[in-house]
Amino acid sequence: MQGSGYFNEYNAIDGVWDEMFGADSEIREHYSKVINYLSQESPDELKQKEDLAKRLFMSQGITFTVYNSGEGIEKIFPFDIIPRIITASEWAFVEKGIKQRLTALNHFLKDVYHNQFIIKDGIVPIDIVYSCPHFLREMYQLQVPYDIYVHIAGIDLIRDHDGTFYVLEDNLRTPSGVSYMLENREITKRLFPDLLPQCNVRSVTEYPTILYKNLMSLSPRAVSNPTIVLLSPGIYNSAYFEHTTLARLMGVELVEGRDLVVDNHKVYMKTTNGMQQVDVIYRRVDDEFLDPLVFNPSSMLGVAGLMGAYRKGNVAIVNAIGNGVADDKAVYAYVPAMIRYYLNEEPILKNVPTYQLGIPDEKEYVFANIDTMVVKKTNGSGGYGMLMGHASTEQEIEDYKNEILKEPRNFIAQPTISLSAAPCYMHGELAPRRIDLRPYALCGPNGIEIVPGGLTRVALKEGSLVVNSSQGGGSKDTWVLGS
Amino acid sequence: MLSRVAASLYWSSRYIERSDGLLRMLKINYASSQDAVQGFTWEPMMRLYTGDDHEAVMEKLGNDSRAVLKYMITSKDNPNSILNIITMARENARGVQEHITKDLWQCLNEYYHTVKDTKLDRMLQREDPIGTLDILIKQVMLYYGTVEITMERGEGRSFMNIGKYLERAIQSVDILDTKFNTLNDNPELLTDTTYWKHLLLSIGGYELYLKTYRSGFEAKNVLEQVALNNDFPRSVIYAVNHIQRYFERLKGDHEREEFRRMSFQIGRLQSRIKYSSVNSIREEGLSPFLKLIRSELYGIGNALNENYFGNY
Repeated sequence: MQGSGYFNEYNAIDGVWDEMFGADSEIREHYSKVINYLSQESPDELKQKEDLAKRLFMSQGITFTVYNSGEGIEKIFPFDIIPRIITASEWAFVEKGIKQRLTALNHFLKDVYHNQFIIKDGIVPIDIVYSCPHFLREMYQLQVPYDIYVHIAGIDLIRDHDGTFYVLEDNLRTPSGVSYMLENREITKRLFPDLLPQCNVRSVTEYPTILYKNLMSLSPRAVSNPTIVLLSPGIYNSAYFEHTTLARLMGVELVEGRDLVVDNHKVYMKTTNGMQQVDVIYRRVDDEFLDPLVFNPSSMLGVAGLMGAYRKGNVAIVNAIGNGVADDKAVYAYVPAMIRYYLNEEPILKNVPTYQLGIPDEKEYVFANIDTMVVKKTNGSGGYGMLMGHASTEQEIEDYKNEILKEPRNFIAQPTISLSAAPCYMHGELAPRRIDLRPYALCGPNGIEIVPGGLTRVALKEGSLVVNSSQGGGSKDTWVLGS
Repeated sequence: MLSRVAASLYWSSRYIERSDGLLRMLKINYASSQDAVQGFTWEPMMRLYTGDDHEAVMEKLGNDSRAVLKYMITSKDNPNSILNIITMARENARGVQEHITKDLWQCLNEYYHTVKDTKLDRMLQREDPIGTLDILIKQVMLYYGTVEITMERGEGRSFMNIGKYLERAIQSVDILDTKFNTLNDNPELLTDTTYWKHLLLSIGGYELYLKTYRSGFEAKNVLEQVALNNDFPRSVIYAVNHIQRYFERLKGDHEREEFRRMSFQIGRLQSRIKYSSVNSIREEGLSPFLKLIRSELYGIGNALNENYFGNY
């Protein structure tokens, strides 16, 4: 089936998995309804829809803040109006894979902060764990409710040229972006009336309900109405919009560090009616800033004494502190081994091959083949401090190599994965752009639940492979089809 | 409710009320500047809204209406410009978005973007400023309508209303003070009809005045309406009555000591105004009377800060 108009112009990129076009330029079955719908719209109408989307984002204040020369500028997170579609069978596979991986990662965190069997059995090298800056000795032998460390995970997936899913990163600390999953869907409802039910798209609205239920279940006090708060760094944080959205959707209090005090190992919030005890904290503040008495002493974002209350079990913290040791980029290489070790199963989702620059042989190999590699800092995020071998000048590569030699443990390298492409609406026509996928998995006492959907990030620049919002990325609504 | 949230709601609402007062004042002043009144000056208004450095500001702007409007509406340098006021209102609301309705947040956001839009500056310079001011005034009215229709009748709205009426009371006291002080230097204004008409128009009390007083414009009647008329929404007593009304709603299940103290403080001020008359005010002197009311209003603001907003 060949669509009319824009689709004749569409040039899929050679050697890249295209979500919409199959090998022989056939439109894939699951995209056909959307394309029929779009074909009936004139270019003007599509332009109007794009403008409407921008207006909706702006008037709802769905913005993130970029800091340049001290002045914060509010920007909307660029939104591409063409949805990304995942079939029921693809989703079933991804869902199963993430559940398996997350189960193993939870076991790993429990193990590494207690008996460390996995280290004693020689599966994960001790120096990889102990040299990780996010491995926190403060968490050693600390009991967390139900042994759950990762309550919310945003595992990043990409697809190689043959469509195989790979895990790019495990985000187990404070993964962000879920509000865009929810808002993008709301915008799509406005842009394309009737299209969602016609295409049998599964709903994502359950997310806040499930999260709230899980948070409730963690309350250390046996009271019918525990106090749950969302701890945000405040309005100047780039994800502040997300914090307010989640707090509103769950009906929990949005607090900042200055709203909380710890007294006698219990956490309280300051209210107009005096102090009120807090039971569960969904925090969006990094470990390092949570408690100035234990971590970074200059932090104004945290609460003095919080770690003590946590250790006593008087407050539950979500995600647990110290999770960074499990989503460290050097530890990442060992996740398949963890799955085999803890679950005695073969990994469902593949890892991208990863070279540790801390290991001399692997460093040699990477240096010899650096033009086909992506080199990353093990503790970096947001697409900062990366070297894309194929797109760098020799000088850049030399400088980066010198940087690596200073502290090789802090770097890993992966072969450049080409990332799949999906059609985007670009200046009046459709053009392929590279995408990834971040589904959000919620782990509670009754198991892991994954809302059918997620955040699809797009590298809006032609030819770019970097999807991070801080590096010119945008997002798409992500549809998971019912069976 | 979190102390910080209460404080933000209160301040957001105070800033909106301030912008409303300022916009109406600008509109009437601009209109009378076009009325070919000899020697019209922006001076009294600017004294009211720019504070201590109003002389330097006036010198810079001259008496150029468009320059004044630009300075008071879209200037970044003027801390009391509409742009800066609405930015503060929005920043406060941004920190408490889940305590106001989504409708209200959107409304505030649109107000903010309307003021920020570069089109506005151009309109102020080239087109009819009244039209532009009306656009902004309409944004405030939308805001109040949205509060009325969508906000739950809870603690949050009480704090918002306390902020709103406290700001209004202070503004009305300031306007009376400025207007009557000018009389000391220019006694001939006492019988100047436009002078009083102008004052009443700027606070939306002209029509009510005409219905209440049949004998033309007299200073004592104006004073009575703006200070003591229970039914005039911009009168001092009306605002104080509403502060009292919304404060009492904060009582809660167990009456806190702080609540009792503040309830007493507000009641005392309310009675002081309620049991005053134009004649009694004349006897004690208008200036000392207004000074007392103002300092009581500030006292209420400070007490809220200490007892409810957690800033001891």
